[in-house]
Amino acid sequence: MEKTTAASLRHIIPDSQLNEWEREELIEQLTVYDPRLRQAVLEQIAIIWPVSHSLCFAFIGQLRQGLDCLEEKQLPEWVKGILAAYEAGGLQAARHYMSDVENNFLCRLRGESGLLFAAARGKLAHYVRGISGRGLQIEAAPIVATDTATIFLPREISFYQDNSENFQVYKLLATYQWGFISRDLYCQKHGALSLPGKEAEGDDALERYFRSFGNQALAQDMYHLLQTVRVSGFLQAEFPGLMRDLRPFFALLRVSRPDFQTLSGVNYLFEQARHWLLGYLGDDRTINIDGHLAEILAAARRNEASSADLLAAAADWYRFCSADDQSYAPLPPLLFQGEFRPREAHGARLARRANARQKFIEALAAILPPASAPDSTESEEEEPQPPAANVVEKGATISPLPPAKAGKNEAEFPQTAEPRFICLDDERIALPEELRELAREIEEDLGGLPSFYISSASQKAGGRTSGRIKGPRQDDGQPLQGELLYNEWDFRRQGFRQDWCRLILKKVHPVKGTFVSSTLEKYRGQIMQLKRQFEMMRTQHLFVGRQRDGDDVDLDALIEAHADVRAGMVPSERLFIRLLRDKRDIAALFLVDMSSSTEGWVGTALKESLVLLSEALDSLGDRYAIYGFSGMRRTRSEVYHVKGFDEPYSEEIRGRIAAIAPIDYTRMGPPIRHFTGVLAKVDAKVRLLIILTDGKPEDYDDYKGEYAIEDTRHALIEAKAAGIHPFCITIDREAQDYMGHMLGEINYTFIDDVRKLPLRVPEIYRMLTS
Amino acid sequence: MVTHSQKIEEHFIAEKPFYLPQKNELPVALAAYANGLPLLLKGPTGSGKSRFMQFLAWTLKRPLITVSCHDDLSTSDLVGRYLIRGGETFWVDGPMTLAVRHGAICYLDEVVEARKDTTVVIHPLADDRRQLAIEKRGELLTAPKEFMLAVSYNPGYQSVLKDMKQSTRQRFVALELNYPDPGLEEKIVCHEAGIDEQLARSLVRIAAMTRGLKDAGLQEGASTRLLVHAGLLVREGILPRDACHVTITQALTDDDELVGAIDEMISSVL
Ligand SMILES: Nc1ncnc2c1ncn2[C@@H]1O[C@H](COP(=O)(O)OP(=O)(O)OP(=O)(O)O)[C@@H](O)[C@H]1O
Ligand SMILES: [Mg+2]
Repeated sequence: MEKTTAASLRHIIPDSQLNEWEREELIEQLTVYDPRLRQAVLEQIAIIWPVSHSLCFAFIGQLRQGLDCLEEKQLPEWVKGILAAYEAGGLQAARHYMSDVENNFLCRLRGESGLLFAAARGKLAHYVRGISGRGLQIEAAPIVATDTATIFLPREISFYQDNSENFQVYKLLATYQWGFISRDLYCQKHGALSLPGKEAEGDDALERYFRSFGNQALAQDMYHLLQTVRVSGFLQAEFPGLMRDLRPFFALLRVSRPDFQTLSGVNYLFEQARHWLLGYLGDDRTINIDGHLAEILAAARRNEASSADLLAAAADWYRFCSADDQSYAPLPPLLFQGEFRPREAHGARLARRANARQKFIEALAAILPPASAPDSTESEEEEPQPPAANVVEKGATISPLPPAKAGKNEAEFPQTAEPRFICLDDERIALPEELRELAREIEEDLGGLPSFYISSASQKAGGRTSGRIKGPRQDDGQPLQGELLYNEWDFRRQGFRQDWCRLILKKVHPVKGTFVSSTLEKYRGQIMQLKRQFEMMRTQHLFVGRQRDGDDVDLDALIEAHADVRAGMVPSERLFIRLLRDKRDIAALFLVDMSSSTEGWVGTALKESLVLLSEALDSLGDRYAIYGFSGMRRTRSEVYHVKGFDEPYSEEIRGRIAAIAPIDYTRMGPPIRHFTGVLAKVDAKVRLLIILTDGKPEDYDDYKGEYAIEDTRHALIEAKAAGIHPFCITIDREAQDYMGHMLGEINYTFIDDVRKLPLRVPEIYRMLTS
Repeated sequence: MVTHSQKIEEHFIAEKPFYLPQKNELPVALAAYANGLPLLLKGPTGSGKSRFMQFLAWTLKRPLITVSCHDDLSTSDLVGRYLIRGGETFWVDGPMTLAVRHGAICYLDEVVEARKDTTVVIHPLADDRRQLAIEKRGELLTAPKEFMLAVSYNPGYQSVLKDMKQSTRQRFVALELNYPDPGLEEKIVCHEAGIDEQLARSLVRIAAMTRGLKDAGLQEGASTRLLVHAGLLVREGILPRDACHVTITQALTDDDELVGAIDEMISSVL
């Protein structure tokens, strides 16, 4: 047996490349596997060996542990991942990838080593949202860092045996990274970084600043370390519990740092400062730093220090070491400090800026009176070009509130003066809440509202009434003929386009497969709980008193009537309690977005939520129907019949749910109007129209942006006027501003985590109807 | 036939209640009162609605009659009914009638919870008629100018079964009482729970964090009331983290992940 292995191995690795004892050791390691598995392993060795010999040895070393987790047939896929990691980040990265099998594959066995990001994520994401007050993302990555939109954390933390302690480390890393964002590490607040020279759109001033140093890496690292000192002080003030709990961890980090006594020059100073900080955080004040560096560190720790102060302090420190700057040999940063990534942060800032600009223009256009539009003949299609720099031009001014009360709360609740009005052609227009916030965000970024934001908005608003604007936006087609035609709301003329859309009813053909059964399996526990909760709703109000007839006498009412008789009154006839079998007189119609954007996770989660919902509603007994919608252009708006009100929840229906798939676009108006009509005919006390979607309405033609939002909004208002309760559940990474406008007239909720959707939908239903 | 009346004196508020205004609620409420307009207080649970009513009643030197509405609350519960004792019947005024007779402030807490037929008595009292019909006695009372009707409503509950009808809403002057600003909330918690500023400040920060989770898992964030509760337990010697766990975390959610996350926020801050 060993012979064949040896022969195969020799075939892959010629004698010249491996000495005898290495070869023997390899064979020994391979013989522990059964022949078939060994063959599979050999095939992989044949792939890895030519790429890198050391990687191949590392692979064989990790194989045992990997196979605890993987099945034989997953081996090639794993190796593919290893090679990809190797190509991207060398042996180190490949090793990391290998030791992380659990995270990369669904494992048979759970290792007992550290805490995986995947396991910590749910709790951590809530935590980060809570402390930051916004939808900051968290993601696993090979480094610790933040680009100010996402916090990157390691895939696994295994400092401790006990995973609750490992979680504390995750928490510390996340809190520090948020601390960097909140203290403006990347100088993104306007004015934090004032440099000579004109700032051009898209230019990253911070990077440019550091490039001006002889040794850019050194200058950056100095600045980053000083910021870490400052953020540490900030966190000690704001999160004293966390910083106290983790003292032993800081001490642990310290013992694993290189000994600074063995270093010299700038390297000595750097590492000494790190030791000092860790000591300080671990409540060990034995490391003393003196001289100039001590002053710099003390200044960095001051609470009032701004990012600009720290840039200056770093420059000072740099000058102090400049004789030595070429001998700088960077050591890894402190774990919680992570990497300094100005470029990525700048990218995120630009994305945010563009997003804010678009949102602002759209939202402002929606409230501007059309009359304020400049009388221009410019083509409407052309987006006005931003002026070269982020200058605030005259013409548009914003008047702020009186400065908010300053005080000790300032650090944590920065209260900048908030713009309240926009002055346009001497007209004062009050800003609604959402716009005020946007305007504040923009001012913080750019130092003012560029006037072209406002002129773009008023131009946009101007398009609303004037019939002069040509192009495809205006009536470009004939009313359609035939059945199921629906009007569409055109906000520019504040009227309907008659019979504008054709709706087509389609069937969904059930598929056989494992989707439903695996969903039922996956959520078995939760489904049982859901059913119990829903059954309880059913029995909640089983008895009603003061009825004309019923199953039992209502004692309270009877006594009252008796007293009435005695008092010479005509007693009430409502003396009975009745058992109500169907008091919950509710009919709910679920309208599911089947546009192509739901492809993938969202689509799966939508379907899972329908399964869970159906299970729960089945035990409750409320009437419900499920339809999907999609389509393309106004001539083909499609709705898909999944379950009608009168159909029982059956195998057939389950098959249809499983068959739901992403198709085309999202024209929301026609299906909403169609089902408003359907629901209006249903005989029920409460009629609900619950829409599940993943974002903005949009069709292939001109059904986009403001037009689509306004039509959808109008359709929902029509539904409400028809006595129906529309409710919208939107899946998105963060709450979008258009939602407030589009759905403001009705109730809605957004869900930022797809994984939560399946359980949230029944919960929302329960909340809505109890 | 005898009419028994509850003692109205009991409903006067003797001591000045502790209340820190959030914005202009007091002048607005006084103006509404002066013009006989009813008041609608909107706001999440524990945001000071009841406390404000006490303060208003004290300021106006009028008795305050509070009715907590529930889904079995009928018109007789509001208006009054006949009772029998010792073979004799007598009439007992309901809280609403009592308030109208004595020119008191009648506060219906969580009005959407009441049975729908109560609108029959609420509507005529809430518009310019200001009338209360006691059908059984054939009496029609017109409210004196001292009388005020106030109701509360929590728009956070999204249940369609508990939506307030437009015809009801549009009769009221609506005041929104949201969570107080951090500085103000700190003072409230300090005073109410008798704890030091620093702890109060930490509790307020925790509350702000949980409020950020509204609609992202939590139905509502921690209210001022919960912070006061947490503070009271700490003053009794319970460890701060434990006190917050039992008053804040557990009150907000049953979801394991969220419970964990909120506890982590607490242990970070305290
Ligand atoms: N502005 C305030 N001034 C003083 N105390 C306040 C204020 N706001 C809240 N509180 C405190 O919060 C507690 C809860 O307030 P209150 O009972 O008035 O809430 P509520 O709005 O009536 O809630 P619910 O809707 O649940 O009845 C009060 O007991 C008081 O301690
Ligand atoms: Mg109350």
